[in-house]
Amino acid sequence: MRSTIPLVLTFVIGLFMVGEYFIPHWRYHQFTQVFLEWGLILAAAAFLLGLFNLVQVNLPKVVNKEEDWGYKLVMLAALVFTLVVGFMGGTDRLSNGQAYKWLFDFVFVPLNATMFALLAFYIASAAFRAFRARNLEATVLLVAAIIVMVARVPLGEDLPLVGEKLPQFMNWIMDVPNIAARRAIFIGAALGAVSTGLRVILGIERSHLGSD
Amino acid sequence: MKLDTLVRFQNMDRRWIFLGMGIAILIPMLFPMTLPFKVDERVQSLYDAVEEIPAGSTVFISADFDPASRPELEPFFRANLHHLLRKDVKFVAATLWPSSPPLVMPIFEELTAEYGKEYGKDWCFLGFKDGKELAIKAIGENIPETFPQDIKGNKIGDLAVTRGYKQAKDFAMIINISAGFPGTREYVLQIQGQYDLSIASATTAVSGPDYIPFYKAGQLNGLSAGMPGSAQYELLVFPDGPPEGVRLLATQSVNVLNVGHAFIIILIVLGNIAFFVTRQAEEVE
Amino acid sequence: MNQPRPVPIKLAALLLLWVLTLALPASAATVSVQAPPDNDGLNLDVSWTESTDPAGWGVLRAEAGSSEWTLLKLLPGDAREHSDKVTTDVWNHPPADEYQYKVVALRAPVLLDEIEESEQVATVLAAGVASEPGTGSPKGSFIRTGLKSKNYGPLVMLLIILAVGVMMQKFTADVRAGKEVFIRRIPGIDAIEEGIGRATEMGKPILYVPGIDELQDIQTIASMLILGQVAEKVAEYQSDIIVSCCIPIVREVADEVVKSGFYQAGYPDAYNPRNTRFISSEQFAFCAGTNGIIYREQPATNIYLGRFFAESLILAETGFVNKSIQIAGTAEATQLPFFIAACDYTLIGEELFAVSAYLSKDPRLVSSLKASDWVKLFVVVCLIVGTVLTSFGLPIINNLFAISGG
Repeated sequence: MRSTIPLVLTFVIGLFMVGEYFIPHWRYHQFTQVFLEWGLILAAAAFLLGLFNLVQVNLPKVVNKEEDWGYKLVMLAALVFTLVVGFMGGTDRLSNGQAYKWLFDFVFVPLNATMFALLAFYIASAAFRAFRARNLEATVLLVAAIIVMVARVPLGEDLPLVGEKLPQFMNWIMDVPNIAARRAIFIGAALGAVSTGLRVILGIERSHLGSD
Repeated sequence: MKLDTLVRFQNMDRRWIFLGMGIAILIPMLFPMTLPFKVDERVQSLYDAVEEIPAGSTVFISADFDPASRPELEPFFRANLHHLLRKDVKFVAATLWPSSPPLVMPIFEELTAEYGKEYGKDWCFLGFKDGKELAIKAIGENIPETFPQDIKGNKIGDLAVTRGYKQAKDFAMIINISAGFPGTREYVLQIQGQYDLSIASATTAVSGPDYIPFYKAGQLNGLSAGMPGSAQYELLVFPDGPPEGVRLLATQSVNVLNVGHAFIIILIVLGNIAFFVTRQAEEVE
Repeated sequence: MNQPRPVPIKLAALLLLWVLTLALPASAATVSVQAPPDNDGLNLDVSWTESTDPAGWGVLRAEAGSSEWTLLKLLPGDAREHSDKVTTDVWNHPPADEYQYKVVALRAPVLLDEIEESEQVATVLAAGVASEPGTGSPKGSFIRTGLKSKNYGPLVMLLIILAVGVMMQKFTADVRAGKEVFIRRIPGIDAIEEGIGRATEMGKPILYVPGIDELQDIQTIASMLILGQVAEKVAEYQSDIIVSCCIPIVREVADEVVKSGFYQAGYPDAYNPRNTRFISSEQFAFCAGTNGIIYREQPATNIYLGRFFAESLILAETGFVNKSIQIAGTAEATQLPFFIAACDYTLIGEELFAVSAYLSKDPRLVSSLKASDWVKLFVVVCLIVGTVLTSFGLPIINNLFAISGG
């Protein structure tokens, strides 16, 4: 019973939702829309559970002064502070002079940009490590990567002798082998997705419910 | 001894690489200079598509980016707004990214004021809508139901600029500034084919190659990828240099990319030289 | 927004103009109204004929038998068609059985910006010559065949789904009858079990990240299925698993899945709900939080399976510095290079969807892999034949997969 009800629900709702693609009538669409809205409401309600989980995981560590409790305290304080500030100001909270806007401009924006900017450094160290001509395939990858990198920036166009041809060659790499590989991955993944979807809807796949 | 150094170089602490990268980025920022660059066919096509929009038409802008992707996409966003506004093209904007409204609203207000455009009549911003692909599908089907109010709380029916524009297909063009998901891919898959929409996309450098197949298949009428794409678009919009008070953010930053790329290429080449020398020495031994 | 309403004189002038135009002959335009093929019951295609281009067209609609016209759109003079959605709110305003449309050939362009919505119809009628109305019913279809519009895509898609289902049944029967099914070795999947063993030996936990997308994404669903198998193995090895989630509802499902895995393995007491964590729904805050877990709790094995974006490399590089064994899998092509550069094993695209079947070795799941391989072969053949035929000007296969636009 514990797994039968979820399996039946998955089957019925799954087939109903797949049907939307094949049954265009608005009356059918009216009901699939309701299911989708239920999904959105569930996901939104789960934010509350997420909040409880954050407190449940971190608060005991602060209370018991477990290892790294200071970080957890900062996190919980930031959570409460942002929540309170978010409720202040109503629809004007994004106007200049409001606390929420200040938090957004001077805390969120720089932190977010910093995390993304880390990529430049991580790409450099990952590329240094990964791009070694260990064998033929790795060498082809290395040469293609260098051509694309050089031709992508204005510097490449100014190189003597090859500067003219480099962007054309880069475009060929990006438009032909690159697109071919991406399409292959995309088609393979789409078929994998269809097969996974069918396995779940038909109840063949039960790993998420605990295998038999 | 020499071999040891080469082995150590190959396995060097990555913090040295970080330091080198930091310096490589700082130098062109402190001593700016811009090398000339060419315009990519995809950016040119985007520019031409915007250029062909008749004055008085209305476009839909989906500004789907966040603070992280701001340096790459804000320059395009600004140049594109200059382009639209000086052509007297109206726009209705919205976003599918929650952190976008506080970023884009001040830019809309600044540039529309510069061109003397009136909110509600020449442009409006409908704000953020959650639902990702579902929201895009809803934009394709029914904009007033998806966004009953704009970001200022006005009823959408009260805004002159939205009158007669109920679905995505009613607009002369969809301009999507897309930092990832949800973004251009979802616009193309969900509604482009179904409604035969004209979509232009400006995206991050990392997503660019992913969208090239859409451009090749004619599903996008133009594509600008990353900082170089933004710089090229700036060049097309302001071929004789920027007017007073306008900063070409991407054009100024292109040199940072030049030096950063050069640093990575040099690292890779040196790493490979060290790798070959040590491997040969090991084979001899 | 708060402009003064137009003065009554202006309105009276407009009405007078309208009354005058009633005496004028109707536009020569003949309007025809048709429901598009595979219609949802809400759309009508309006088209009309007219030999000369006026300054513009106004398209009006009313329910059949009603004289309450609504202005739908102003179109340029060379337009001869308009697609209309008859209602946008089916709950409160369900579509009528029949609608009538007429078009107004405008003598001069009309600017509606300054005109109140209630006066727009009168203004447009006053500014041109209206045609006789044409009527049509927005009949809805109950099955999308694509036969009328020659968009066979949905039909082909239905056939492919049915074919996968039928083949799955056949291969399952074959496997049960003792026939062997070959699955190529995927080192990345084998490494998952090795990684769990290594973590157990080192007495360190395993970190599992199911991507950062919503639950309804198929990659997240695949990741949840794999998590069930991984949790079961972790429980068998008496090790610990930390699941780091970016979406609250994914955490709730992941929590249930891990609990089931531990229960199934016979160690329900070993399950710790505090180890399935919601970090933040903000991409980079989640990334920073997960990096914190990697630095502080030092997992021996990191498994990243699902949909990832810009955080992929930041997570994988941090794991590399921590010297964890790292196994990644995603169908997100833009992130694959980063995972390949920084992880020990990377599952590419469809391999992610094969993990669950591969790990369980359940004949029914294995048969689904075989079925999708056959469909893949069919797609490859279609691609090759389609390319050749299209090169010779015969886009038969293209039409077979067309979804819209014919």
